[in-house]
Amino acid sequence: MPLGLTVVLLVLGVTAVVGAVGYLIDKSAERNEHK
Amino acid sequence: MNLAHVHLLINHFPTIGFIIGLGLFLFALIAKSDELKRASLVVFVGIALMTIPVYMTGSAAEEMICMVPQKSPNAPCANPAVSRGLIETHRNAALLALVFMEITGAAAWLGLWQFRRRSRPSRVNLTAVLLLSIVTLAVVANAANLGGGIRHPEILSDPEAAAQGPAVVGLGLNSGALGRFILGVPWMWPVCETLHFIGLSLLLGVVLLVDLRMLGVMKNVSFATLHRLLPWGILGFGVNVLTGMMFFVAAPEQYTQNGAFHWKIVFVLIAGANALYFTMFDETWALGPGDDPPLTAKFAAVSALFLWVAVMYCGSMLPFLGNAF
Repeated sequence: MPLGLTVVLLVLGVTAVVGAVGYLIDKSAERNEHK
Repeated sequence: MNLAHVHLLINHFPTIGFIIGLGLFLFALIAKSDELKRASLVVFVGIALMTIPVYMTGSAAEEMICMVPQKSPNAPCANPAVSRGLIETHRNAALLALVFMEITGAAAWLGLWQFRRRSRPSRVNLTAVLLLSIVTLAVVANAANLGGGIRHPEILSDPEAAAQGPAVVGLGLNSGALGRFILGVPWMWPVCETLHFIGLSLLLGVVLLVDLRMLGVMKNVSFATLHRLLPWGILGFGVNVLTGMMFFVAAPEQYTQNGAFHWKIVFVLIAGANALYFTMFDETWALGPGDDPPLTAKFAAVSALFLWVAVMYCGSMLPFLGNAF
């Protein structure tokens, strides 16, 4: 795989993981505050 | 004073601090005291921040105590009383301890944030912090014991085995192999560098929103609304600690001898403490739409802006004011 594509895919992958974690924390906060 | 001296001064903080933090945490759980739980979580966050320079000054101490250039990593130390294998074992154990310490610190910060939002602890978070802190204390104590054995091999149960290196004594992350992987694989450094900037953008975006609100911008926004964004900033900080440590592990000599980097870490530590103010203090939490923040909040906001700009400046200046790259 070309070097540039590897870098882009890895960066997007890690960013997606970070985004998912942030989203879950935020959703959990929202759910608990509505209890 | 040099960085080896600084390492000797601060290397007791993680072990002793964690014993105090865990003791306080257990007492708080038994006594069911929310205030003590919060206090122990603050101790965990503080010690997690402090452990970053402890690891870094350890690399500087290694260079000073064992003056062998990187090109010949397997050569014995110039001082025959010092074992290179034992230093490597200590470094690997310390890297594992650092990883656990930062995960525990992040969980403790999340606990403080949840405390603020819900005025009560999250049971899942407290259980996670308890389990993580017990494991962390074990790996930190192991790293500390091995570190003490470098100059005092008589304290180790099996000094000869430890001196032979990481293959003999486990419970560590192979920092040498990780460094070679980061430097040797062409996509690794650019990936870390790109993620470092993404983390910075997340962190600075949240810092700017919170601090500018304190200084009178977006006055119709309540602080509770901005407070909900804080985990995004901490996630950005986490990404940067992880990628920053990748750089450091790969090429420590670029940073240990770099004045701009020393200042960067000092500013990061103060800014990290500053973030706790906005995470948990009552006076900012109570700010509703249109409310004017107290003077302390304005001071914290101005200092945070200064500190993060200083962090970015020192980071950018690593090759120019310092000797990196």
